[in-house]
Amino acid sequence: MKDIHSSFTALLNRPVSRKAFLKILLSSFAFLSLSGYFSKPAQAAPEETSSGRPKKSIKAIHDLVVAEGDDPYLTTVRAVEAMGGMERFVKKNDIVLVKPNIGWDRAPEQAGNTNPEVVAALIDLSLKAGAKRVNVFDVTCNDARRCYATSGIEKSARKHGAQVYFPEEWDTVKAHFAHPSHLEGWPVLKDALGCDVFINVPILKHHRLTELTLSMKNLMGVCAGNRGIMHQNIGDNLADLAGFFNPELTVIDAYRVLLRNGPTGGNLADVEKLNKIIVSTDPLLADIYACGLVNVEPSQVPYLKVATERKAGISSIGEADILTIKA
Amino acid sequence: MKRLITTRRLSQTFFFLLFIYILWSTTYPLTGILKPDILFKLDPLVMFITSISERLVLPGIIFSFCMIAASVILGRFFCGWACPLGSTIDLVGAVRRKRRELTDNANAVLRKAKFFILGILFIFALFGKQVAWIFDPIVIMGRFVSLNLIPAMTSAINSFFIFLIRYLNLGEPARDIYRLLRPTVLGVKTYYFTHAAAIFLFFLAVCAAALIVSRFWCRALCPLGAVYALSAKISPFRRTVDKCTKCGKCKSRCRMGAIKDDIGYVPGECILCMDCIYDCPANVTSFRFVLPWKVKTKATNKKSGAGPKISRKNFLFLLLGLVPLLGAKSGEKNAGRYVAVVRPPAALEEEDFTNRCIRCGNCMKVCPTNALHPVMFQSGPEGVWTPQLVPEIGYCEYYCTLCGRTCPTGAIPALDEGQKLKVKLGLAEVDRSICLPWAEGKECIVCQEHCPVSEKAIKLDTYSGGPAKPYVDEHLCVGCGICQNKCPVRPLRAIRVSPKNADRTKVR
Repeated sequence: MKDIHSSFTALLNRPVSRKAFLKILLSSFAFLSLSGYFSKPAQAAPEETSSGRPKKSIKAIHDLVVAEGDDPYLTTVRAVEAMGGMERFVKKNDIVLVKPNIGWDRAPEQAGNTNPEVVAALIDLSLKAGAKRVNVFDVTCNDARRCYATSGIEKSARKHGAQVYFPEEWDTVKAHFAHPSHLEGWPVLKDALGCDVFINVPILKHHRLTELTLSMKNLMGVCAGNRGIMHQNIGDNLADLAGFFNPELTVIDAYRVLLRNGPTGGNLADVEKLNKIIVSTDPLLADIYACGLVNVEPSQVPYLKVATERKAGISSIGEADILTIKA
Repeated sequence: MKRLITTRRLSQTFFFLLFIYILWSTTYPLTGILKPDILFKLDPLVMFITSISERLVLPGIIFSFCMIAASVILGRFFCGWACPLGSTIDLVGAVRRKRRELTDNANAVLRKAKFFILGILFIFALFGKQVAWIFDPIVIMGRFVSLNLIPAMTSAINSFFIFLIRYLNLGEPARDIYRLLRPTVLGVKTYYFTHAAAIFLFFLAVCAAALIVSRFWCRALCPLGAVYALSAKISPFRRTVDKCTKCGKCKSRCRMGAIKDDIGYVPGECILCMDCIYDCPANVTSFRFVLPWKVKTKATNKKSGAGPKISRKNFLFLLLGLVPLLGAKSGEKNAGRYVAVVRPPAALEEEDFTNRCIRCGNCMKVCPTNALHPVMFQSGPEGVWTPQLVPEIGYCEYYCTLCGRTCPTGAIPALDEGQKLKVKLGLAEVDRSICLPWAEGKECIVCQEHCPVSEKAIKLDTYSGGPAKPYVDEHLCVGCGICQNKCPVRPLRAIRVSPKNADRTKVR
């Protein structure tokens, strides 16, 4: 017993050189990291807060343009041209965010994600208008790599010169609202706030909780965190997000429309081709117009109901200047 | 210069890096030059033992026959020149400058131990139990690389970049480099594995033994080494010493303890590290092909035992190692004693699965959502380190078939996409006592939103008033676990997957 005691004190009293100390430190660090002690995903809480993007209210020739055509690329180009061209929205050296829905591991035919051709058209138009950089990303629901690949958006957007990347959970800021909100402090992507032009490109499709996913629902894709919680009070939350991000341009892909079993779909029998692209500067108007295409009463869509009550935009199709064209 | 030793070290480095590269590229979309299952198909130990215990000929066993044939000609070149675990052990052993020299007797005892292990594995296999996974070096190394090394490395590089970008404000160029690295080298997800510490400790013990006796694992315990030792016995590629001065330097330096006091050597123990060529002060040691009949006449002292001799005492020792067989029970008999776990899609029936699975970790490495994790003891002693689905961390991606495509033994069958969509991993059930719509009257149905089945396996009760309440259609649910993964309720999820209704592949 005494032996153990004395050898133990000897060990404790032994001088430890700086080199030896560093060795012990490094090897214990390596031991812990190889044991998986540090490899739990770092959910670093954002430190900065942001009160969102200011509303720019760019005046276009029409409030809303809806174009119909067989080619989604060409239809999108025509619709934006009829609005007065991309130059109205994108100035020289702007950073543009084209935010499609890439939420699901679904092919374009299944209509779970935005059509890659529509995304490609918007990228081309932005670059032609002088954009310095076009970013394309989405916080996906399924595995990000699979969604980016299967949707066809990664390939087509890269080909047309956009920066396609996976957004970082840690690269976020805390959202701050001027009014009381359930989303106070919610982590939102820095990149979605830092852009000069925000082009929101949702796909029109069925969603059981909100009846339809439209431009406002698409904004969940620039939010990090446990997004399932947003489903409680979904109407208020999405209307809050729309007022927070204020996209300059909303382009709704109604080329292929998932009518049932959304938002994932999968069965081609649930998909109908409407061949339409809706372009508007007013997200609420665009969403309300899109409801009409699939015979859904806008008041049934919780976030449109809330946004209408808040007078977030033009809520009556009769009052709006709408142009219908064939591409 | 010690050209042969440099060549050997280059070869070790090459195969070590190749091994890591293959496992590193074992990820979606699986476009690496070499598929990860080849690593284990080249391994005669797991291939033979698994084939015997499963009473079938595993596809790809031909590769391991090639390895045996190569070692019959060249000897244990694999251990000294290619084995990634052996290289790691050499690296650890290099920390200790002076090698401990053991007596001939001690060396003989050490080298015998691995043949006992091989014998025990073989007899277990005859009784239909595959336990080669405990001792196979390629499996130990693969599991370490996939579940410990790569997650730790990617996590460290990730944290480094996050630190640079967040706290040093390096801005857009650094972000762009990072965005480029993420999908190509680092992986979009930083993986985390439950019980990774246990796997690392086991690996550490295997390597650290080299600090006491050089290459302790390889010379004393490695059953794959034993397989190669048996085939190397008749190898014509021999160490020859002309006009030896009996200085004994080669003996004291030999890392495998293959050289005896009389400077004869045990061919089955020599891993062709080429040290003795350069250790020899008289420069008379060389390796060359010797015709088989000439070997016979030059055979060294037979008394000291070049291999295993099954004496009565040894036989009793062997029986001692078989005691665990008494406690081995089939999966069904285990039911009730252990918690059933959710297995990867279409995994073989439990007993065949634990037998066929070599615990290489390929499925866990490749799973795009980090859903597969090693089991500890939940599924019984037979199930240690087999994969299970942990929906809190990841879920089974509906269209993904990667785990089956990387499994080297077919414990998880390779499915095509059409088959995969129909396979049930289990069944989800809503816990109405904590589910938000059921228990608190709040709107939610996140589970229904994410359900990948196109008709939606999660149906909604909208008749009883209040927000839509989810329930599961038993016939449609595939048990992928995305509902449990995305359920916002904490700490316990309000919808959970159990292995009920799971489609397990029948082998016989």
